[in-house]
Amino acid sequence: MILKSKKSSWAYIVARVKVMKRRLIPSEEYRKLLNMDFNEIVRYLEETDYKREIDELAYKYSGPRLLDYALTLNLGRTYKKIQDVSFGVAKYLITEYLRRWDIWNIINVIRGKMAGVSAEEIEESLVPIGEYTIDFYKSLIPKEIDEIVKTFEGTPYYSALSKIGSEPLSIIEDELYKIYYQKLLKERPNEIALKLFMDFIRMEIDIKNIKTILRLKREDVSTDEIMKRIIPGGFEITEREAAKLSAMTWDELIKALEGYWFWKGIEGITDKSISRIEIKFDKAWMEIVAKRAINYPLSILPVLQYIVLKKIEVDNLRTLGWGKWQGIPNEEIEEQLVIL
Amino acid sequence: MSVVKVQPTRMELIKLRRRIKMAKRGHALLKMKRDGLIMEFRELLEEAKKVIGGMAEKYEKAQQKLALAMAVDGVIAVKSIALSRQCEPRFVMHKKNIMGVVVPVIKRDEKIIKCVVEREYGVLGTTARIDEAVEAYEQLVDAILEVAEIETTIRRLIEEIEKTKRRVNALEYRVIPSMEEACKFIAFKLEEMDRENIIRLKKLKSKKAKRA
Repeated sequence: MILKSKKSSWAYIVARVKVMKRRLIPSEEYRKLLNMDFNEIVRYLEETDYKREIDELAYKYSGPRLLDYALTLNLGRTYKKIQDVSFGVAKYLITEYLRRWDIWNIINVIRGKMAGVSAEEIEESLVPIGEYTIDFYKSLIPKEIDEIVKTFEGTPYYSALSKIGSEPLSIIEDELYKIYYQKLLKERPNEIALKLFMDFIRMEIDIKNIKTILRLKREDVSTDEIMKRIIPGGFEITEREAAKLSAMTWDELIKALEGYWFWKGIEGITDKSISRIEIKFDKAWMEIVAKRAINYPLSILPVLQYIVLKKIEVDNLRTLGWGKWQGIPNEEIEEQLVIL
Repeated sequence: MSVVKVQPTRMELIKLRRRIKMAKRGHALLKMKRDGLIMEFRELLEEAKKVIGGMAEKYEKAQQKLALAMAVDGVIAVKSIALSRQCEPRFVMHKKNIMGVVVPVIKRDEKIIKCVVEREYGVLGTTARIDEAVEAYEQLVDAILEVAEIETTIRRLIEEIEKTKRRVNALEYRVIPSMEEACKFIAFKLEEMDRENIIRLKKLKSKKAKRA
């Protein structure tokens, strides 16, 4: 599909997103939140946009679960709002970008069905974001797996879902994510504002690929197995580059990362704790996106930046809430926060 | 000690002496078995202490990793991964013989500690924190099975030691002394009968001499 857009359409959506961005919790506030206890954090959030969701779910959940589900519901509503206020190419791209949550929900319904757990348990693992509504997924739960797969006939996911039963679910799950990225990369933008979207996606693929390589390398997985999980079309980490990196030893691999666009963010990593390194990658990626969004204010980038920043805010607040509830030391919580 | 009810015959004496000899040999063997079992138990106890300590450490680590995964990835992500587990870990019980005591050996039917690519969830939709939590719990399950095996072995050994101890004590303080007493009683009775016979014979001889 060849995409064309008007500058005026970007101006509107970017202005709306800028207003929404101002409502995000500032980085300095996280220092304050770090010194609060769980109840104080919830009280603080009751004075922000999260109040509605916390009040709404308070009858069903309590403690950190209430916070967790309220944050997810708020994230879903915020994304829905962005979709609603956008139009034209912007709406199309945002909708396509948020389809990753469809994969999340489809996989959870199938996993739940295969594990034979109750409908309530499956419903609790669904996220209200993406093309399909929660009610659609709820209608899938009573059906048999074959019927669920048939429902997606005609969608890009069908080719992967039809392999259920013959292939392990983990392979199908990875294939669905690959289909998602391949579909995004199929778009053919003919102007710089849209080409930036492609670069954003390709950079995200780089981050995903390098995380995959490091995760699997830590467990000494063979190059062939790693390559099966590499998403083609990366910005710098193409399939060839990925094959080269996955054939290296851990130390060689860390050295080889020098020079890639994300290197500055991960410079000096010594330990093999991938969970800590993952946070550094996310920070590095977000910093680059923020820089580019400033350089190209009338493009999809400010919108995508907001989408990712909102997700980071939700993740940070969840980390703070659960971390405080579980008694995780402040230093460890801080290490897991993405503060830009 | 109770009065022994035995026939004071030479045959009975021979039988009793044979039984005492056998009981003493049995007593010595049982004592050796008891000592052997105690030694085995002590060795296992040290190992059990290590294994149980390791399990407690692994439990703590698993809890921390799960807490971190819940905190950063959220309860929904953790729930989603939990759904991916299709079946419980399976194992088969085999038997091993330690000095006549049958103890279990737990053989894992399938590998419990798996590599990321062998698990039932994909790599692209999950994070390293989830991997770390899953890995910590896999190690915990493996440690629990090891503890179950060693704990059952220790329990069976204790039961056997108790049983052997009771047998040794019964032989040492009841069976052998009572048989020895019976033996003494028969020997005394037989001597008494011998003496009676001699006296009787002497009396008969003296009567015969008087008549003559």
